[in-house]
Amino acid sequence: MNPKRLLAITRAGIMESLHFRLGIFVTLFANLIYLVLVYYLWKAIYDSSGTAVVNGMTFTDTMIYLILATALFNFLEMFVVWDMSRSIQSGKIVLDLLKPMRFRKYTFWSYTGNHIVQFVLTFIPTFIVVMIVTKGAIPIGLNLVWFLIATVLALMINYNLEMLVAPICFYTESTWGVNIVKETIVLLLSGASIPLAFFPEKARMIVQYLPFRAVYDIPLSILLEKNGSDTWHGLLSLFAMQIIWLAVLTLAGNLFWNSAVKKVTVNGG
Amino acid sequence: MHKRGLAFYASIYRKILIQDLKSKMSYRADFIISTFGMIMTNLAGFVTFMILFHNFPTINGWDYHHMLFLYGFSLVALTPVQCFFDNNWNLRFMVQSGDFIKYCFRPVNVFFYFISEVFDVKGLGQLAFGIGTIIYAWIKIGIPVTVFVIAKLLVFLLTASLFMIALMNFAAATCFWIKGSGYVMVIMFRFKDFAKYPSSIFEGIFKIIFTFIIPIAFIAYYPSLVILEPSNVPLLSWISPLYGILFVYLSYRFWMLGVRKYDFTGS
Repeated sequence: MNPKRLLAITRAGIMESLHFRLGIFVTLFANLIYLVLVYYLWKAIYDSSGTAVVNGMTFTDTMIYLILATALFNFLEMFVVWDMSRSIQSGKIVLDLLKPMRFRKYTFWSYTGNHIVQFVLTFIPTFIVVMIVTKGAIPIGLNLVWFLIATVLALMINYNLEMLVAPICFYTESTWGVNIVKETIVLLLSGASIPLAFFPEKARMIVQYLPFRAVYDIPLSILLEKNGSDTWHGLLSLFAMQIIWLAVLTLAGNLFWNSAVKKVTVNGG
Repeated sequence: MHKRGLAFYASIYRKILIQDLKSKMSYRADFIISTFGMIMTNLAGFVTFMILFHNFPTINGWDYHHMLFLYGFSLVALTPVQCFFDNNWNLRFMVQSGDFIKYCFRPVNVFFYFISEVFDVKGLGQLAFGIGTIIYAWIKIGIPVTVFVIAKLLVFLLTASLFMIALMNFAAATCFWIKGSGYVMVIMFRFKDFAKYPSSIFEGIFKIIFTFIIPIAFIAYYPSLVILEPSNVPLLSWISPLYGILFVYLSYRFWMLGVRKYDFTGS
């Protein structure tokens, strides 16, 4: 595939997102309010616990983890399932499938534009606010580079998860249900709603090996230098897990998509 | 627009509701998966709650069973917005595509017609879950069961439900002015997750904001205090029914203002 063509699609995605400038500003503002809520809740929780460190997480650690998980959520959220279901209902999916490019590839690169915009306009400002508020609790060093790599991998894993779920809509004509099940599982088991460090021992043993963790928990652990990611050995094993899951999910997604796409039924359009 | 009686609107609502249920029945798989999804979200919320209490035995002086009551209370209070006002989620697509204009051409109230079009059956699962939680916590705390207490519970559950309805009306109506405002609704909907914690955790300016401007404190905390601490009910709990009605009215006016704006721009 010619990289120039991919860039053109990404550029179109960027322009499409920038069209909704006011929306981005409102998102950022709503996010800040959400962060205040998270702050007060966990402050109260830590105040009533009586100890400063719970399961190896201090109050500041928990705050940074949850705030950045929310920021990551905003920027990783792809709505592939939603968009696909709407294109099935309206019949637009046929036009997308007819394009002289693989549908999965086309979708990925057009979402990339949106990701870049979201990253620059919502994630980076949130990150800076967190840095200022916590007065340098985030270690600055090579971990930032590893975090970026882990985030790109997380993005690809998330995309493949979405693409694995989206074709279910072809079979069931259900979108809200499929999407909410996916979202609930991902948010809970990835550590986005409550840090994985707080899970009971046995549950954590299982969750640790599931792919959902690779989306939020691994990048954030690397950023905060938790879970042994401050050693080469720990870092490499986290990356290895992301890459293995990426490969498995891509393969599974490909197989499922190829058989599901034959099932598309469009009523009118 | 003509003023019509309540009976007229009730009969229309019934007719639209039956049509909606009929069309839902034709997508059986969707119905089953959606119900399953709703149960999953409630379970996930519950698991998060349990994990929290596994690590921290009390939150701001509230023990496990009182928190559980608050949690169940918030679930029940959030059912009306889920069941009756679900169409707000479609508003922005309708406005963007121009399909919204069809609602303006009917001789009934635009807001009523739009909202009545969808009744979300799966919200009932949440209702059952919430009622179960309330009953369990009720027994464990040992609140006396009298007609008066139950009447109070019903009145204040109804009161509590008004606030989320109003918030979602406000959030949905932003799409009349802001393109790509979908995220406002998503985040507003996530705010409700904080309703199940005691609002005494907020301090300073944010206490005022989360009580009066984004009234998360009223979704469960203040109304439930009437039941949980009958000897020491704050004034705000007693005011909450009036404030709820006012808030819903304001959100309705805001929504209708958006409709007027939509008319002017055309499509």
